[in-house]
Formats: sequence, structure tokens, C-alpha cells
Amino acid sequence: MSGMWVANGLSQDLPLGVVMAGAWQGAELAIWRSASGRLSAWNDRCPHRGMRLSHGFVRGETLSCIYHGWAYGTDGACSKIPAHPAMVPPAAIKAEVYQCVEAEGVIWVAPAGSDVDLPDLSGLAAVRSVTVQAGLAEVAHALPGFVCEGAVWRGQLDGAAVALVVQDRGALVRIHALGTGDRVKVSRWLDGMMRLAEQGVLA
Amino acid sequence: MIPQAVLNEWYPVAMIALVGPRPGRQTQLLGSDIAVFLEDGQIVVQGAKGQRLAVTLRYGHVWACPGTPAHDLFPIPEADQPGRRLVDCGVVRVKCSPLRAVENFLDIAHFPFVHTDVLGAEPHTEVGRYEVQIREDSDEVWATKVHFYQPQAAKSAAGGIVTEYMYRVAAPTAAVLYKTCPNQPDAWDVIGIFVQPLTEEFCEVWPWMALFDDTTPQADLIQFQQMIFLQDRSILENQIPRLLPLDPGKEIPTQADLTSIAYRRWLKRKGLTYGAQMVAA
Amino acid sequence: MKLYDYVLSASCYKVRLLAALMGVKLELEAVDFHPGQAHKSAAFRAINPAGTLPVLVDGDLVLSESTAMLVYLAQASGKIWLGDATPASAAKVQNWLAFSARLGASLGMARLHDMLLYPGDIEAFRRTGVECLRELESHLTEARFAGRIFLVGDSPTIADIACFPNVALAPDGGVSLDDYPSIRLWSRAVRALPRFIEMPGIHRLHELKPTPEAVPPLESL
Ligand code: FES
Repeated sequence: MSGMWVANGLSQDLPLGVVMAGAWQGAELAIWRSASGRLSAWNDRCPHRGMRLSHGFVRGETLSCIYHGWAYGTDGACSKIPAHPAMVPPAAIKAEVYQCVEAEGVIWVAPAGSDVDLPDLSGLAAVRSVTVQAGLAEVAHALPGFVCEGAVWRGQLDGAAVALVVQDRGALVRIHALGTGDRVKVSRWLDGMMRLAEQGVLA
Repeated sequence: MIPQAVLNEWYPVAMIALVGPRPGRQTQLLGSDIAVFLEDGQIVVQGAKGQRLAVTLRYGHVWACPGTPAHDLFPIPEADQPGRRLVDCGVVRVKCSPLRAVENFLDIAHFPFVHTDVLGAEPHTEVGRYEVQIREDSDEVWATKVHFYQPQAAKSAAGGIVTEYMYRVAAPTAAVLYKTCPNQPDAWDVIGIFVQPLTEEFCEVWPWMALFDDTTPQADLIQFQQMIFLQDRSILENQIPRLLPLDPGKEIPTQADLTSIAYRRWLKRKGLTYGAQMVAA
Repeated sequence: MKLYDYVLSASCYKVRLLAALMGVKLELEAVDFHPGQAHKSAAFRAINPAGTLPVLVDGDLVLSESTAMLVYLAQASGKIWLGDATPASAAKVQNWLAFSARLGASLGMARLHDMLLYPGDIEAFRRTGVECLRELESHLTEARFAGRIFLVGDSPTIADIACFPNVALAPDGGVSLDDYPSIRLWSRAVRALPRFIEMPGIHRLHELKPTPEAVPPLESL
């Protein structure tokens, strides 16, 4: 079985012990890295009272919900309910787990059980992620000379390779940029590209 | 279609002290525009079609009923007790179901994580067994003998103490809590939360207090209550779904959630489903 | 030193936060900003004619701009919060202090609109707020390329403290911070500073506290 892999950020932006919000298709996700470095992606909804788990906090190998502190292990199972310290949480209390891997500095998410099948981004260094308030068509328009291969747009900036991994979120597009050139230059070029794409929306 | 049972209830729509002449406070109730203003010395609540809604002035607030009132506004006898100071805390708008706002008010297990070092603190996170009932005579939800360890119950208290609470759902979008008062062991502090349902997913919240406290400046009392409620606001705006699920589905409660379970059951039984999600999703 | 204060004000929080981080004790006087509008009263205008909060009073000195209060607190004790002493660094700090006013006029107003029903063009507040966040994100991203996390130089300065509150509170005004990874890490760095204090809408990093040990059951207390 295979679901689509969606890029959800850069490894450098998710250090040890940090949680962030992500998305797979329409589903909102909490993506986090444990103290030992293990990555997890779950539905961003605590099984208790629906609080976003991406607002939670990481202690060691567990992610705790900020609302009532329920703690979940890397397998998604609830390991502790602070209101009932002596109770072993029932196995039914479990976060909805997605598959999450990282390769060449990019974090990818797919539904559980998907075969790993990722584009080749070797030889490139991560630069930054940006969010463009425009659709894919406007973004494409702002990238003359770039070639689209699935979720990756490849091109050049002053002779250095640039790869933009695109995460389409409907009304906006998140772009995870990698390249071989000067990162500051790529970063500033991205700022300009965003403005151009968004002008396309206004026009 | 809004169920008749919902329309026949009382809802807070303004703070009495802040109501002025036309156009007055332009706001919403159950998704319809209303205006609250003074006319010939009387407070009027007017609907979008010019109709006048039934009005009750009580507990510092203007209460309106868009339908035919099924009963009088609930009593809070402590409001008339001599020596109590009544404090109106103003309004805060929240992007959540009005029912989620009430449910959060009934919850104690979040104190150590959301009101850290004020109403609770790790490692004292345990919620002991307490009693919950739907009182048939008054048709209210009550939770009693609720105990929780509070790190700083009062400015004077060194270290923490176990505080006792009682909770009461008096109307679909109004709840009152009673809390042992450190200065006066035989009396309870009374704190209310009055929620105005603007729409099913938007509300305005009016905290209110009736305290035995002659010394603390008014501004400090209001700020304390606003601090507590604004800590809750960032939670309330991030619960999924925004509506309150009434069917057991994706949300799993524990024994600490008995009040919330009873509140949801009571709403469902009475058909008070405005702001609720009926089918779990 | 006395601070006329309102617990939900981002500008008051700037001053409380810096004082806490520096270990300076402030005498706080709560002003009933909402719903009482006490900052517009004649009594309060006798202290600050502008009728705004916060106000810092130290002897004869009365300050009514939060960024000036940050400068005053930082000057008074060791100056490490002012950045290094080079002209460029001092100017950069000033630049961010001015930038923080733009944050207040955009994200800050969006928050007052959404939370306390202030009038105004909410879409305009949010749009200019997002412009500010993007500028900040690009700057912080370049700082990270250079191995730094704070706005000016290698350590936190009043520039960070001036900008932090309205940025961290942006979601209160309906502006998401999910799109800004460098801002997220910067915000964590600020919240991880020793003696950090929170305000409603900005929660502390619970992870800084170790997993708690078991305590006796509630019944036995
Ligand atoms: S909602 Fe997550 S612990 Fe209660």
C-alpha cells in the first residue's frame, strides 16, 4: 500500500524536543522529534478533548498535550494521564499515527503503511521553508525556467542548483528550498519570488 | 433551524454598567443581529426586525431571551448576601463554541498545565473522586466535593493547600463555581462565567464574581480573573472540532471528566444543541 | 520603580518580562484598562497625559513608552541587554525597537480587535502584521545561517524583548505562526531564558521542567 508522501518542513527547523504543526492533504498534523531524535507525525487532535497536540511539549520520548498533560509515546499510545497518576491508560487511547521520515534534510509524511518513495535530493543543502499566499499556478508563474518533477521544482540561481519541494495546501503553498549556492542569496531570492507569486494573485 | 428549547433560554448580552443610548451595543445572539441600548431609562434588546426581546437585569448583566422564556433566570442567592462584593470583569471574545467555553470552566484537570503555579502545578495533578448529579428539582448540573491541590491559594498562604470546589451549570451557557475562601473557611467565593453565543462557533464571555474581600483593589480582582480566562482562551481556540461533540466518538473522557460528561448529557437530553456537534466526526 | 500595569497588555508585558529576566523588582499597580477604561480617567491622565499604558515611574522620572522603559532598565544595570557597544549594534537595536511599534500597530491591534472588541479594519491589521512577520522571519533565518538565534548579536537584547510579545501573541489576533520556522525557534529561545515569565496567551515551556516524581495521593494531603 502506498499513500502520497508530502514534504512537511526541513530537519533543521525541528530540533530535538520540538513539536510543530504540519499537514497531509486536508488532515492537520503534529510533527515532533523526541529527545533521542525520533520523528513522529500524528493527527493534530488529542484523543481526550480535541486540543491540538502541536501546542504540546516534548519530554524525553513523549509528547504531552498542553491542555491536561496527557502524555503519548512515540507509538502514539497514551502513557500517562496526570489527573489519575496511578492509572495505566487503556490501550484504546492512542493518537492517530502517520508515517514520518526525513531524507536529505527534508521531513516527509504519508499515511501509515506507505512504501517509502522519495525524490532524489542528494547533493543539495537545506535553505529554508517559506509559505506563499497563492495557488500552485501563481507560484509556477513566478518560477520561469524551473522544471517540475512531481513535488520538486528544479532550477538554477546564478549557476547554482536550486530545488524547491512544494507542499500544496490549496489557498497557500509551502516551499521547502534546498540548493548548492549561498544560502543568504537563495533566501533573499525566495522573498522576491513570493512577492511575485502573490502579485499574480492580486492581478 | 434553531431548536425552540434553545430560543427559550436566557443569554447574557451586555454588562449593565456599559449600556448606553442608541445605537448602543451592536452584537449577535444565536446568529442574529441584536442591539442593546438605553431608551427612556430602560435597557432594551432589539432584534434585527425591530422586535423587542424579553429582558432580565441580573448579576451585573443584561440577559435576553429570543423566544418565550421557559422559566425565570436562574437564582444565585449569594449575589444578595450582605458583605459580598460583586465584580463585573468585562467581555472577552473567543473563537469557539459557547458550549466549549462552559465545559472548560467546569474542568479542573487543566489547572497545572494552563494556569501553572496559580491554580495548579505539577506534580500535584491528581483529580480525586467527586460527585456529580443532574438535580431534577432545579434542572441543573452540579459537581460537589471536588478537591484539588492549589500551589498558591491566596497571596498570604505559604505553600499549597487542598482547595474544595463546587460547580454548577445553571443555564446552557452559564455556569457558577464555588470555591473555599482562604480568608473565611465557612464561606465560598462565587465565580460565574456567562457566555453569549454569537454563533455556534463564536462567543463572548463575561466572567463575574461575588467575593468576601474588602481589601483587594477592584483592578486587581478584575485582572486576576482576566488573566485566568485569557490563559484558557488560547486552548479554546485550538480544540478540534470547534463545536462540542455530544456523542461519544473521538473524545475519550476519564473519571476526572464526570462534570463534562454530565453537562453533555444534560444538553443532549434538553435538546440544547446550539454549538454542539451531533454526529461524531 | 513602579509600573502602572495591565495584565493583558503586550507593552506592559515587555517591561515586566525584561525586569524579571534582569532580576529587577517592580512595584506593579494594576489599572482597570478593560472594562473600566481607567487609563482614560482624569486621575490617570494626571500621571500620563497620553492616557496609555504602561507607565514607569522612578522618582521624578516618568516614562510612557515601553521601549524607552526597556532602554532605561537595561542602561541601569550592566548594559548587557543593549548589545555590544559598537555604533552598528546600538543602531540595530534601535531599529528593532522602532519595528516593535509596527508590530503593535498591526498584530497588536488585530489582537485587541479579536479579543476585546476594539474597532478597526481587521484585515488590514492582519495583512500588515504578516508583512512584519515575514521581515522578521527573513532576518532570523539569516541570523541562523550565521549560527545566531537572537535579533542582534550573539545574546538576547532589548530588541528581542520589544518584539517578542506581539509576535508570540499573534494567534490571539487570528494570525497563525505556523508559517515561520525561524520565528518559532527564536520564540523558544526567548522562553528558555532563565527567569522567563509568561503572560496569558504565551505559555511557558513545560518541557524545561523534568517529568515530575510521584507524590502522595490527594486523599492523604
Ligand atoms: S485535551 Fe489533550 S490532555 Fe485533555
